[in-house]
Amino acid sequence: MEFASNFSDQLNVGLILPEGIVVATLLAVLIGDLILGRRAARGLPYIAIAGLLLSIVSLYFYWDAENPTALLGSFSGDDLSIIFRGVIALSTAVTILMSIRYVEQTGGALSEFIAIMLTATLGGMFLAGANELVMIFVALETLSISSYLMTGYMKRDSRSNEAALKYLLIGAASSAVFLYGSSLLYGLSGGKTILPEIAQGLAQVEGGELASAIALVFMIAGIAFKISAVPFHQWTPDVYEGSPTPVVAFLSVGSKAAGFALAIRLLVVAFPLEQPQWRLIFTALAILSMILGNAVALAQTSMKRLLAYSSIGQAGFVMIGMVAATQAGYASMIFYLLVYLFMNLGAFTGLILFSLRTGTDQITEYAGLYQKDPLLTLGLSICLLSLGGIPPLAGFFGKIYLFWAGWQAGLYGLVILGLVASVVSIYYYIRVVKMMVVKEPQEMSDTVRNYPAVRWNLPGMRPLQVGLVFSLVVTSLAGILSNPLFTLANTSIENTEALKSASTFLEETTAQNKEVSLADPMAPAIVEK
Amino acid sequence: MLSALIWIPVIGGIIIGFLPNQLAEKSRSLALVIGSIILAFTLAIGLQFDPNQSGLFLSESFSWLDQLGLTYYLGVDGLALPLIFINSFLTLIAIYTSSTKLARPRFYYALLLFLSAGTAGAFLAQNVLLFFLFYEVELIPLYFLIAIWGGTNRGYAATKFLLYTAISGALVLASFLGIVWLTGASSFDYDVLRSQVLPLSSQIILLLILLAGFAIKIPFFPFHTWLPDAHVEASTPISVLLAGVLLKLGTYGLLRFGIGLFPDAWNLLAPYLAIWAAVSALFGALAAIAQKDMKRVVAYSSIAHMAYILLAAAAATPLSLTAAVAQMISHGLISALLFLLVGVVGKKTGTRDVDTLRGLLNPERGLPIIGSLLILGVMASAGIPGMAGFISEFIVFRGSFSVFPIATLLCLVGTGLTAVYFLLMINRVFFGRLPLAFSNLPAVPWSDHVPAIVLAILIVTLGLQPNWLVRWSETQTASLSNFDTETLAEVRPASRSLLQPGQSIKESQWWRSL
Amino acid sequence: MELQLEYYLILAAGLFCIGIYGLVTSRNVVRVLMSVELLLNAVNLNLIGFSSFIDPIDIKGQVFSVFVIIVAAAESAVGLAIILAIYRNRNTVDMERFNLLKW
Repeated sequence: MEFASNFSDQLNVGLILPEGIVVATLLAVLIGDLILGRRAARGLPYIAIAGLLLSIVSLYFYWDAENPTALLGSFSGDDLSIIFRGVIALSTAVTILMSIRYVEQTGGALSEFIAIMLTATLGGMFLAGANELVMIFVALETLSISSYLMTGYMKRDSRSNEAALKYLLIGAASSAVFLYGSSLLYGLSGGKTILPEIAQGLAQVEGGELASAIALVFMIAGIAFKISAVPFHQWTPDVYEGSPTPVVAFLSVGSKAAGFALAIRLLVVAFPLEQPQWRLIFTALAILSMILGNAVALAQTSMKRLLAYSSIGQAGFVMIGMVAATQAGYASMIFYLLVYLFMNLGAFTGLILFSLRTGTDQITEYAGLYQKDPLLTLGLSICLLSLGGIPPLAGFFGKIYLFWAGWQAGLYGLVILGLVASVVSIYYYIRVVKMMVVKEPQEMSDTVRNYPAVRWNLPGMRPLQVGLVFSLVVTSLAGILSNPLFTLANTSIENTEALKSASTFLEETTAQNKEVSLADPMAPAIVEK
Repeated sequence: MLSALIWIPVIGGIIIGFLPNQLAEKSRSLALVIGSIILAFTLAIGLQFDPNQSGLFLSESFSWLDQLGLTYYLGVDGLALPLIFINSFLTLIAIYTSSTKLARPRFYYALLLFLSAGTAGAFLAQNVLLFFLFYEVELIPLYFLIAIWGGTNRGYAATKFLLYTAISGALVLASFLGIVWLTGASSFDYDVLRSQVLPLSSQIILLLILLAGFAIKIPFFPFHTWLPDAHVEASTPISVLLAGVLLKLGTYGLLRFGIGLFPDAWNLLAPYLAIWAAVSALFGALAAIAQKDMKRVVAYSSIAHMAYILLAAAAATPLSLTAAVAQMISHGLISALLFLLVGVVGKKTGTRDVDTLRGLLNPERGLPIIGSLLILGVMASAGIPGMAGFISEFIVFRGSFSVFPIATLLCLVGTGLTAVYFLLMINRVFFGRLPLAFSNLPAVPWSDHVPAIVLAILIVTLGLQPNWLVRWSETQTASLSNFDTETLAEVRPASRSLLQPGQSIKESQWWRSL
Repeated sequence: MELQLEYYLILAAGLFCIGIYGLVTSRNVVRVLMSVELLLNAVNLNLIGFSSFIDPIDIKGQVFSVFVIIVAAAESAVGLAIILAIYRNRNTVDMERFNLLKW
């Protein structure tokens, strides 16, 4: 009996109730589709959204859980993971809103699509809390494989096929590289797979710097692929261009958030001693992402590719918080991801609406849109301006928080580069806005001239409208009212034991090593790295 | 009370923006009503102003984003009050002079009101981050106002404006982040930051960044290239606002943040700033001579006149600081008048080309009243006694001469050149024989004259009653010299050196003898 | 001769390099997929090697490698499905001809 209760304590399955709800929703969608057939397709998306919202609500009840570890230490339900899981689930909910009409119009089966998307969400949510190598790997692959499937969902469109193939090959290769890194980590730490134990194991190894550096680099390569940081970004524009737009929206928000959650947890918890190294690597990634993402976005003519490159640039901004490696840095990352969720999904909703109505996503075709569709113009403009960091929209505050955190951590060069990059980004965002808003009626593009009458009562259009208005409202107000949101982000970082213990661990080990190296000059000095 | 200046136009703008289609024509009248309310509010605030008291006489403070040190802290003192007045006044004039047959009136008036709100917010902000926020807020409305209702090349001009101003904003932000980080202050509040003392070297770096940022906005040579383009392409009311109010954001920033936050570095750099001012003034004046487009002439003259403010600020004597504010007010009014009239000429004749226009002063078939008013405006700009321009420029030079004689003399040459280029323009455009092409000009209705006449009356009144021009700044002298003479001289010995012994507050009230 | 941990590691590293080489140079998509499998098997070798030398009691590495095998199977199933779809549309499995999207 005692063993059983002890074991169930360690298992602590209750903690993954939110994921359980997602699984139940997933099953409900699949079975509902099987039993009821096509008739049910109308209602299934709403069931999925309801399930996701329920899951978010249940996350709320685990805020500040007393015992935040579950599944024998391989899953951590601390506040950090809760907030990331919330972001991922929310992004899926909004993505489902925008995919209903899209999938129907492109002739795919909606319920399967939603089932795959829920699986991806499940992977992402587990990844956000994964605290052990096997868990990380399985969650990562659940997310990735579902993403490949979604990318290739339009199976008669060879562009979608090609995007899926490229994504799969590059993704599989990068996760193999990541795995190779984790296998080295497993060996180096003396057979540990749980992240905090790995950190302790690594600290005891003498002379393993090179091997642990290799492991670190390999693992960062895998993460950088997920968050599409330059130079691991090559797949991004192609995949974004070829895949169904709702999938792109999910990849650029949900999948990316999961990647950042993994980055924070893995690097901070498992590599506390290598902090200078991974900060250096992330500095390089951030610089390259900001420069390349924003510079190449300038030259794009397709809205989808523009958003693809802009999302690379945005990831560069977020990495400033990672490089800062302070509480404020992580908190501002979370805050930025929260507002980025809404503004980017809003932009994608606008993009989907436009391409559903006109069948194109060329920027020049947006000319004069304000005359035909004021709501779409307003929503898309506000979201794009917010991405560009124009006050008083949410993106401005997100950037200010990030830059301020970076500046406090002494990253002057990076912040100044970020400021320059955001000026550049204003230029290409405003180009789209200019097309829509500024063009005279006689300069209107043919597509817009033949724009169909705006009818929100068509099947599947209402959710799109809801999604657009929701993102519009949140993007306009989240910045001005950012105090509670930022407090949320901040407390989630503060309450997360893992980050705290990692930093104390770093201090202790450094102090110990100092003593050692003072006593014995020949001792391997890890500190001096 | 102060928030009303920001939120009335914002809410009004939103209401106008969402007016139903059939009411779209009413948006102008609605905007006029809102503009009048704002002006009334400004006057009501002005009435509470006690010229003998320094510091903020009205303020509002709410905590907003604590983690960021951003508080919603508004305040108004003698430095901000005249500028806020100019803002409200010119906004009303801009709304009034906007064409009644605009395309997309709802959007236009909504943007105009947002612009007014952003500018008022920037002048009122007592938190540097809040100032930056409002400084950036006016970017997008102005971009659209130029890009949609501008001239033929408006897209280029608007984008150029946007990029220059965005860079300016980034530099200003970098400087603000820098000062808060280096002083370790807990918030971005202006008064908190002012009480901090920074080592000279970091002050210089931060001041240079800040100067570069504001120099783009004001603009000074060689960062000025966006301004003539923006003025030429913008419609008349927008030019009025741009020259009259928005450029003042930069000079206001120089006075408030440049001198206020980095006094030691300012002292050190002052001689170079004075030379920069002289170069900018001479460049503006010389470039104005070469222009063929009347609006470009006025735009370059604007660059030259803004440089005097830098000269006065560089000298940083109590008198010259008063003069800087006076020059902001008088330049705001005069350039508004000039752009207004040039706009009318352009609208009536269909061209602003100095080479084609002739003899418009013809009393029967020309534009006699417009012409007379323009001559008055030009005289004011050139500093003819009896007008506001004379007073402000005179005290600028009077206040700066003792500190930087050579730079001041060079600027005086610039003033002389003002007369040259404006007379060249007036001579060509208004005198001589009216060519046949312009002999059937449509009559200018009275309503078009009203704003120009109001401005002209203000300019003359302030010129004849300089007390009213500088009265605002009496506290100004008090509050600015407050940190220049008393606190600074005590806290920072370095700044004592720039105060000339004979120049006390007493002397700065020399105009009483007029 | 006694087998040491280093031999396993070197073998795995070699396998990994061969996998990377195949990934970069193959033109046939199926071969690319096979190279990915090589990478994963290199990882498995690593894991099992470490597991039996360092962690012989808990054998977490062996458990890990079972997971890797399962996931790899899923991955190749999806991969082959995608290749099948693309083959139906384009009648080719040549990497060089998949150029609708610019790299």
